[in-house]
Amino acid sequence: MKNGKLHKILHTQWFTLLVVIIVISVVTGMVNPRFFRLANIINIFEQISTLGVVASGAAIMIISGNFDISVGSIIGLSASVMAMMIKAGVPIWVVVPCGILIAIVCDAFVGFTSIVFHAPSFITSLASSSIFKGIALALTSATLQTIFGKFSFLGSARVFGVVPLMFILGIIVYLVVYFILKLTRFGRRVYAIGSNPQAAYLSGINVKGSKMLFFIINGTLVGIAATMLLSRIGAAGASTGAGIEMQAIGAVVIGGTPISGGKGGILGTFLGVLLMGLISNSLNMLQASPYLQELATGALIILAVAVSALSNRNGKASM
Amino acid sequence: MTNNEPILSAKQVSKTYGGHCVLDKVSFELHSGEVLCVVGENGAGKSTLIKILSGAIRPDSGIIGVHGGTYSALNPRESMQLGIATIYQEVELIDSLSVSDNIFLGNETLGRFPLVIDADSQNKKARQILDMLHIDIDEKMLVEDLSAAQKQNLQIVKAFHQEARVLIMDEPTSSLGVEETRSLMQLVHDLRGRGLGIIYISHYLEEIFEIGDTILILKDGEQVGLYPRADIDVNFVIHNMVGRDASMFFVRERVPIGADQIQVENISWKDAVKDVSFNVRAGEVFGIGGLVGSGRSELAASIFGMVRKDAGTIRISGQELSINNPKDAIKNKICFITEDRKKYALFDSMDVQDNIVIIHTEFGKSPLLKQKKENRLAKSMIDKLHIAVDNTEESVISLSGGNQQKAVLGRWLLNDATLFIFDEPTKGVDIGAKEEIYKLIIELARKGKSIIMISSDMPELLSMSDRIGIMREGRLIKILDNQRITEEDLIHDFIGI
Repeated sequence: MKNGKLHKILHTQWFTLLVVIIVISVVTGMVNPRFFRLANIINIFEQISTLGVVASGAAIMIISGNFDISVGSIIGLSASVMAMMIKAGVPIWVVVPCGILIAIVCDAFVGFTSIVFHAPSFITSLASSSIFKGIALALTSATLQTIFGKFSFLGSARVFGVVPLMFILGIIVYLVVYFILKLTRFGRRVYAIGSNPQAAYLSGINVKGSKMLFFIINGTLVGIAATMLLSRIGAAGASTGAGIEMQAIGAVVIGGTPISGGKGGILGTFLGVLLMGLISNSLNMLQASPYLQELATGALIILAVAVSALSNRNGKASM
Repeated sequence: MTNNEPILSAKQVSKTYGGHCVLDKVSFELHSGEVLCVVGENGAGKSTLIKILSGAIRPDSGIIGVHGGTYSALNPRESMQLGIATIYQEVELIDSLSVSDNIFLGNETLGRFPLVIDADSQNKKARQILDMLHIDIDEKMLVEDLSAAQKQNLQIVKAFHQEARVLIMDEPTSSLGVEETRSLMQLVHDLRGRGLGIIYISHYLEEIFEIGDTILILKDGEQVGLYPRADIDVNFVIHNMVGRDASMFFVRERVPIGADQIQVENISWKDAVKDVSFNVRAGEVFGIGGLVGSGRSELAASIFGMVRKDAGTIRISGQELSINNPKDAIKNKICFITEDRKKYALFDSMDVQDNIVIIHTEFGKSPLLKQKKENRLAKSMIDKLHIAVDNTEESVISLSGGNQQKAVLGRWLLNDATLFIFDEPTKGVDIGAKEEIYKLIIELARKGKSIIMISSDMPELLSMSDRIGIMREGRLIKILDNQRITEEDLIHDFIGI
């Protein structure tokens, strides 16, 4: 029994990921010892915290069988509005809730259109993405809204003078999503709906209502991510956050959640995000061309898909 | 009728998965114009044998002989080129193309211009083939508009057109009604007369004795024997499949029947269910029979709130229920065990435990999961229903059909309901698991539950039901007390002659 458990752990995708992460770290550290300096490690964690928050939401989406590729545009819109409000002198405690609310409304719109028109959320979020980006461009007249120094607390604060507040926020989000997915009935619905929506409906689950909530939760996380990003960069425009949805989906997939939904989890997602951050940092440390980073990210996702396809095949053969 | 040269043969074919031998030295010969029936419980190795012959898996040892050539293994392409066609349970046709397009798929008839299909000549040829095989389908219809039975016939026609010499049919009648099964039997008979060799796999032993020339009995991967049909009878086959005596008709225990508990009044839904009313008493098994398409499943769907019924009321113990969706139905103590396990019941990416507790958790009071309790409940159901699993974390799709069905049943048993609706409760389930499911249904009746059992399996309907309601064209035309009714009587009522 115990052996069986150990065997199982050795064969999970997150264990493979952990090994890969350690190997990359050691190799990079050997080539460039600066890699292991505290400042660099903190830098990595700081850089991946926003992606982590977005990826946590993406994990809920993908496990439940949904996609939201409008996340980048929502961040652009939400952050732009927040920046404009701050510039206009609105107090921060009003601005942040407004920014998060905008993200929730946007994501709810994506979910609503998907549910009402029986359309895949991939399509409604693709369409919505244009709408949100258009609104952000119109509001900002396509200019960058800078707020240097007015809202840098969140992005620069260090807890105990060392640990970035952003990173702690990211960890809290992981924990909350872990709690939801693994320990609540609502989380069970995420898996059930992603696995077989018709069976979920016949088991008495309110599929449409739950799906709406998935989008609202995702919207909340996206709003938080927009706030974090704005505070860190100190400026926002319509293209703030562009492309982050693909990175997030990539991290979730690298973390072992199949694109078909129904299974997966947040631990793998965390490691997937960490690996992406690590690779980008390592390539910097190894003074590789920045173009290589894009390439590496793509190759990584293909590799992750290959690994899960191969392990699936083995699983089937041993059945 | 048969000449000496077999068109397909297997010698000592074996396959082992992870130390477990699923097929052990199986040998047979199939001649032109012969129907070889393969019987055995789920897990006896029937599917493995088919997969080996169709090239989906490689045997570990043994020799496959086709038209005089010998092979240690086939791949799907070779198998097809050698004229072996497999008709799977899941239909492999292209819905958006017409009947004749599907027949000619892959070897289209080209017209005068390059790359342009000559539709007229294809349609004409398709018509000829369909007529020759006495199949009444319009060659220009789209496949998506065909019934399940017609699709299956079309698959056979396609194989015939591709000059298949051997036709492998895996449970071809499991989703067909009585009439459709008859016409399929006729088709098999025709093809046999045209010199095809047919391997026919079915749970329905009546069919096998109707059309089989030889019968191959498998048990736990081993070959019990290969017999000419005339030499054996049904009891012999059952005895050898399961290693114990069993009658075709399950002899159920009688349990006391109480007062009226369920009242269904004037239910209608679209054109499928028309003004249906009946009562079910406590402890009663109310069977519903009829042809496929007679509105049986739709009736169940209307009661369970799967579809919004247009009219009608449902009462439990006199109280009228308001049911708009399955959630309402479950709250009101109604269970529905669907016919299509894979589509409507299984969460195949989830483990056995989560599959069993899903409804209990959904309707529990706490919004938090109680893992220990869930584990305890799942284990109790695994023990009670004898679900064959190593642990509760095993993936539900790795189970056999019978065990999957039991896991789904366990899900509903955890919910203490009053009305249990079973739609084809033993479809695709082996004889051993079948009996267990029957016993379970009777146990529910003993506890005073009301049971509605929809079934196309005549022996099942006759041996389990206290009364049998007969549906035809959406109406409940008759309710019979189940005394001295024969299969013949039922078929007459189903068809209406």
